[in-house]
Amino acid sequence: MPADKTVIRADIEAMLRAVLGDFGTDLPIELDSTFRDDLGMESLDVVSLAGRLQSRFGDSVNFAQFVAGLDVSSMAELKVGDLVDFVTRSLDQVPAAS
Amino acid sequence: MTLVRVNGVTLHVAELPPVAGDDMEPPTVVLVHGMAGDNLASWYLTMAHPLAASGLRVLMYDLRGHGRSDRPARGYALDDFADDLEGLLDHWGVTGRVHLVGNSFGGTVAFAYALRHPDRVAGVVAIDSAPPMPEWFARMSARLTRAGADPGRVGAGAAFARRLRDVRRLLSETEIVAELPASRLPAPAEFAALTCPVLCLYGRDSRVRELAGRTEQLLPQARSVVLDGAGHSVLIERTAEVRGHLLTWLRDTAPFVTTGSEGERHG
Repeated sequence: MPADKTVIRADIEAMLRAVLGDFGTDLPIELDSTFRDDLGMESLDVVSLAGRLQSRFGDSVNFAQFVAGLDVSSMAELKVGDLVDFVTRSLDQVPAAS
Repeated sequence: MTLVRVNGVTLHVAELPPVAGDDMEPPTVVLVHGMAGDNLASWYLTMAHPLAASGLRVLMYDLRGHGRSDRPARGYALDDFADDLEGLLDHWGVTGRVHLVGNSFGGTVAFAYALRHPDRVAGVVAIDSAPPMPEWFARMSARLTRAGADPGRVGAGAAFARRLRDVRRLLSETEIVAELPASRLPAPAEFAALTCPVLCLYGRDSRVRELAGRTEQLLPQARSVVLDGAGHSVLIERTAEVRGHLLTWLRDTAPFVTTGSEGERHG
């Protein structure tokens, strides 16, 4: 069964709000929100997000590998939707537990 | 977020385990970031995964006064930073020889630790950095003083504002500007004890490169590589090349790092 994108999006939005703390309470988090300019995330927030993704999805979602493939400018332009797509793709590749 | 209490200070740490490693005791690398405005994310987002994928246990931390670590009012001499690293290695239970990779001031912290414990270090990689010596500390002091007036990198938005605020707090609410330049520095003769392999990467346009000659006098085994089209921020400006040099170097100095080597190393 393919991963449910709506559920993943809700998961990721919750993680982002947790990472952003007080900064993120009233912030709209859309699929086209950029991490840096729209959400005001600094690099350590991205590290914190990586830790939460690891806790939530385990090794099936390798966010560190995802970001290691980006240079500094593409990192700045990263959007919430990119992450949702990446997580969805990653989970789709995991063989279903039987 | 993982916080660890060592040496009287709470430090923010991060770890990536080796990918697909079956070694009981995988080779370990500690990545040390630079001064004022830098933090472990510079490593986490560039080198940490590729190193873990090569079979290394990758450890990172925010230096005291930086990132999400404590910002005590005092305790910013070089020895304090080396004590922190020593405490963390004990905390992490690193018993074998460790690889230390430092960017800018982080390289200096790596050298300071290696000079104390040459028997516990497998190798040092210093990125646009220098070992603890007066010429380098004079430059860092000048840089710290300037950073108080103008923190450099132009940027906008909330993330930049938070980074700026953190740098200002480090410089105005702590004694770093006075304590770091007053650090006890090792005598040149002490460098003879440090015989492990040393790799120094420099940006072609960085003024730190002017110290390469002195570094090679102190550490004759040091291999220097200059990367074109980069200044001091060579880790960010030339991430892919730095990554390539680092991986090649670690494979050469850590035979257990995976590339299908012929084994029989541990006997």
